[in-house]
Amino acid sequence: MDESEALGEVIESSTRQFVAEVYEDASAPAFGTWVQVPDAEGADVYGLISHVETGSYDSNRQAVALGLSADERAEEMPMVQELIRTTVRVQLLACRDREGRLRQTLPPHPPDLHDFVYPCPDEAIQDLGTPADVLRTLVNHPDPAVPADDLLVAALRSVYDAHGGEAGGREALVSAGRALSRLLDDDHERLQSILRRVL
Amino acid sequence: MLNLHRLRDQLDTFESHEADTRERRARQQERAETVLAACDRRWEAVQAAVEEAEPRRLVAALREPPAETHGAPERPSPITVVATDGSQIYPDRHVEPLFFLLNVSRVAVQYGTQEAPLLDAEPRLHFEDALSDHVDEVLRSLTTELVSALRDEMELELLLRTAREAQVEGRPLLALADGTLIRWMIRGMNNEAAEDALIARYTDYLQAFRAEAYPLGSYVSMPATTEVVNLLRFVAGELETPGPALDIEGPAAPVLDGLLDRHVFDTLLDDGERSATFGSTSHIQDAYPSGTEICYFYLRVPSAVGEGEIGRVEVPRWVADDPALLDRIHATVLRECEKGDGYPLVLSEAHERAVIRGPEREGFFRLMERRLRRAGLSSSNSRKRRSKQRPRV
Repeated sequence: MDESEALGEVIESSTRQFVAEVYEDASAPAFGTWVQVPDAEGADVYGLISHVETGSYDSNRQAVALGLSADERAEEMPMVQELIRTTVRVQLLACRDREGRLRQTLPPHPPDLHDFVYPCPDEAIQDLGTPADVLRTLVNHPDPAVPADDLLVAALRSVYDAHGGEAGGREALVSAGRALSRLLDDDHERLQSILRRVL
Repeated sequence: MLNLHRLRDQLDTFESHEADTRERRARQQERAETVLAACDRRWEAVQAAVEEAEPRRLVAALREPPAETHGAPERPSPITVVATDGSQIYPDRHVEPLFFLLNVSRVAVQYGTQEAPLLDAEPRLHFEDALSDHVDEVLRSLTTELVSALRDEMELELLLRTAREAQVEGRPLLALADGTLIRWMIRGMNNEAAEDALIARYTDYLQAFRAEAYPLGSYVSMPATTEVVNLLRFVAGELETPGPALDIEGPAAPVLDGLLDRHVFDTLLDDGERSATFGSTSHIQDAYPSGTEICYFYLRVPSAVGEGEIGRVEVPRWVADDPALLDRIHATVLRECEKGDGYPLVLSEAHERAVIRGPEREGFFRLMERRLRRAGLSSSNSRKRRSKQRPRV
């Protein structure tokens, strides 16, 4: 992949999830976005951004209110901007081995620290859409610090978008919705509430 | 364990002592004000008398009426402000091989523009200093004074380099250092040749600032200096050397012993104002090339919370001789203190970048040990140090 397209870099890693710091000049990826981390041998891990956080680099220095406009801040206290960083937490859901086989399960190894993190191209997300086993992981083993349904909403939305949105996305969404319905034991109210928020 | 109950009586005593001190100081301040007023009227005669009498104590040299105050001008914008600060890992005689580490930050900010600031730090590992033999002689004992002197020197060296790099054609610049520019602490190493070498190198940098016209200033927070008070004591006849005969209104008591310069200016200066500029008569100044001797003024720094303080700003004489440069420094330091809530923002940023935190320090020692071990040069860590690292139960 083209390294200039990397949105950030892994700074904490496990087989279940990782944390990446977003590069200053990259735009922060949205909650529920699919990302992938390729390794040097051509394998990939895939995950969903389950948490986005902006704060101070330095745990000793907390951000405080400054009472300045954005321009005044840039002109008189430019050091403040330098201390701000955005990190994302990614829940791992799938991996692709060196032979190119995609498995909708946790990767055998965590991504390496300082590996580059890329946004997933649409084709990769389309591959992940069926048979939607990733949804099972999201429903049964969600990140406890994240509202599970909101992440499901975002995940379905990205499946819909990756299939072309209004032009072709509906079919993929309906099939994912069916899979979700089974996973939720026909809890129609919960299913309705999730699907209502996708479109 | 600290038993707070058992401190109660001692705190009572402390409290009444503090009340006495404040009451006495208030009377001293009143008296200092009248002596300063007398001094102000005949300042040229006072300066001549000081030069004549050569009092043993450090007495402020007068360059203008000493009770003069100056309001804060507007800070130029845009302006380039550069700053450095340093920290160190002192040599530890329980660790072989002997070394020490200096870490000096470099900050350059282009205020009034949206250009990105420079925020950086440069570490330097010293294990065998490339100084003259004289300094090596001292280095073998590796005193903390020597390490501090080398750190101060590196701060000034990097300040000069940062000024060169950050300078923008046609944009005013100020280089701001932390702490005093008067190297009095260098005297006292019991090695005159080494002291001379250190002072010479330091003043070489001061000279370069002048030659390249980078206005330099330094900020001293909560200064404990007494040069102006000593001048007032000289005038009031409290020193061994008799002072000039001046008409001083009001009572001749109390004596001014124990008062600090900042107490004198506390009553004189309004928020944001600076005092007159004085010259330093520290003996070490004899080693400073003409034009780079240090002058200073006091500044009332307001604070959004609490009372604010009297800070001291030191500048080389060539800067003090130029009213426009003095104004630039006054305005910039004041604005920095406002943004930094009582302390120059650019200096606290420089401090943050320079400081070596506990985990970084540990990381450095681990790295060094690993490198030496891999090279078959296993560093010997004395038992004493190891036992300090791991307290046993």
